Amino acid sequence: MSIRLDTIGKSFGGFTALGDINLEIEPGEFLALLGPSGSGKTTLLRIVAGLEFPDHGRVFYDGEDITDLKVADRGVGFVFQHYALFRHMTVADNVAFGLTIRKRRDRPAKAEIRDRVQKLLDLVQLGQLGNRYPAQLSGGQRQRVALARALAIEPRLLLLDEPFGALDARVRKDLRRWLRELHDRMGLTSIFVTHDQDEALELADRVVVMDHGVIEQVATPQQIYDEPASAFVFDFVGESNQVPVTVDGDRVIAFDRLLDVPPATLAGMGGAARLFFRPHDAEIVGEGANGLAATVTLVRPNSGSMRVEGKLEGSDRLVEIDVAQGAAPGQGERIFVRPTRAKLYAGTAG
Amino acid sequence: MTSLAADGPRGRVRRRPLFRAPSIIPGFGLTFGLSLTWLCLIVLIPLSAVFIKTAGMGWQHFADVALSERAIAAYRLSFGASLGAAFINAVFGLLIAWMLVRYDFPGKRVVNALVDLPFALPTAVAGIAFTTLYTANGWIGRVLEPLGIQVAFTWVGVVITLIFIGLPFVVRSVEPVLADVSRDVEEAAASLGATRAQTFRRVILPAIFPALMTGFAMAFARGVGEYGSVIFIAGNMPYRTEIAPLLIITQLEQYDYQGATGIATVMLIASFSLLLVINLLQAWSRKRTVD
Repeated sequence: MSIRLDTIGKSFGGFTALGDINLEIEPGEFLALLGPSGSGKTTLLRIVAGLEFPDHGRVFYDGEDITDLKVADRGVGFVFQHYALFRHMTVADNVAFGLTIRKRRDRPAKAEIRDRVQKLLDLVQLGQLGNRYPAQLSGGQRQRVALARALAIEPRLLLLDEPFGALDARVRKDLRRWLRELHDRMGLTSIFVTHDQDEALELADRVVVMDHGVIEQVATPQQIYDEPASAFVFDFVGESNQVPVTVDGDRVIAFDRLLDVPPATLAGMGGAARLFFRPHDAEIVGEGANGLAATVTLVRPNSGSMRVEGKLEGSDRLVEIDVAQGAAPGQGERIFVRPTRAKLYAGTAG
Repeated sequence: MTSLAADGPRGRVRRRPLFRAPSIIPGFGLTFGLSLTWLCLIVLIPLSAVFIKTAGMGWQHFADVALSERAIAAYRLSFGASLGAAFINAVFGLLIAWMLVRYDFPGKRVVNALVDLPFALPTAVAGIAFTTLYTANGWIGRVLEPLGIQVAFTWVGVVITLIFIGLPFVVRSVEPVLADVSRDVEEAAASLGATRAQTFRRVILPAIFPALMTGFAMAFARGVGEYGSVIFIAGNMPYRTEIAPLLIITQLEQYDYQGATGIATVMLIASFSLLLVINLLQAWSRKRTVD
């Protein structure tokens, strides 16, 4: 199912939760809404679901305007962060709920409901646990029940609000991979909200990065990581170093020292700016070369290479770079760091 | 005492420990002992005195007083009116709790305080107020009388008074549980296609049912024991509007202490059995939902 959001806006009291959001989602897409808390991502998801109504703007499903349609009539699957299972019902009754409440005319026969519930429970690998109550399940199992319950009504659109937020890291990773498979196998269109960038980058076809109620960037995970559209995205997604600099023509000055940066970085820049680079996009150069001067404060192993942390001379800022295992400097040593790949954004450092 | 039977030797079938296994929270022995002593002093000893006194009165005397036609009529009124009032309270108490939890409105604090008023008001005051209102020339009685509805000095009056007395119990026991039913669950039901009515009946009501039963039981128990307010409005006609507690007072005034305890014993057994049934019902509905 394709979805189109047309200038969606929403405020609570005086607080603008969403300002004029435009977004198109392709059928079969797995989309992540990524942002810090308060960025409006959950509000946007709830508006798509019909759990919240926008102050202005329209929502289209497959080109049809369903903005005023209530959630009960939209037939979308929604998975809540804290599962929201019905505690007084067995797992099987939870999953069957969406079917048993239908009007008699649309309701499948009892035996058919039982079959479908069993199939769904098998699908989420909980085939034996239909008679349990939610309180008797682990967090990961509960979330799978919630998913099975949402899928029971055969939605074409699956919406997930921080679906793995309350789970521990190990379970989260397994469930993530499994959800991606499920999405592909069932031909769903899915949107999920997360504040975890790893989750967004690993799972999604496209990532929508949000901050303060506006969309900062919509792109594939690769593009988001390699070509962040704004300082916020660079900072929020992946690890990064941020250095306040002054751009004067084709010279970049950082803390009273000249700094060599890749030439492409400079395009259209002048005056105060912020230089961003990733820890693995930097090298240690000799004193003669133009690099950031820093004193090493910490050296530690970091998956295959060494992570070097240093304090920049002339400020309290820290810089982090990755170097090859044999090439790490000692603690307290003075080093010079030059980014090999970087991005400049206008404005002063936040 | 705390480690009693907690750890049997390996290889033997472990019996369920008689007392809870040692806990990290100290003072079980002290707490348990003090609580038991206190309960004995306050509840058990006075109540057993009732039974002992009754046991000494002989069957014939007991049957004459406690199982007389007049006494049975009084039991019927006391228990019937209390059950009816508790039931009505369950419905309207739930409504009030719902309003207090779910909505914000001007004067909410005042409404909140009003709910507790029956707790605080001397019951005689309530009784007199109700009687004044519902007699043939009272504000409400004046309206109802021409319609052929008589409230004061009938069982209807008794029920109305007991509704007043029992109201806070239902509201106050349902309120916190209702506040605890998360929005998520309701939204989940709605997203699965449930109407508001279906959501209430199948999701919310089961969640608050145990609390509702608690409130019902307390309102009922309070109603059975209520004396001060009811005697004003009931009219106290033997066989018709005489409640059991009044009958006890009557026996006392005639210096028939054994007769009074006899009636008390019957009420005690009946109340206890009813509360037990309600408790079992509650346990049954709660068993499955505890986290």
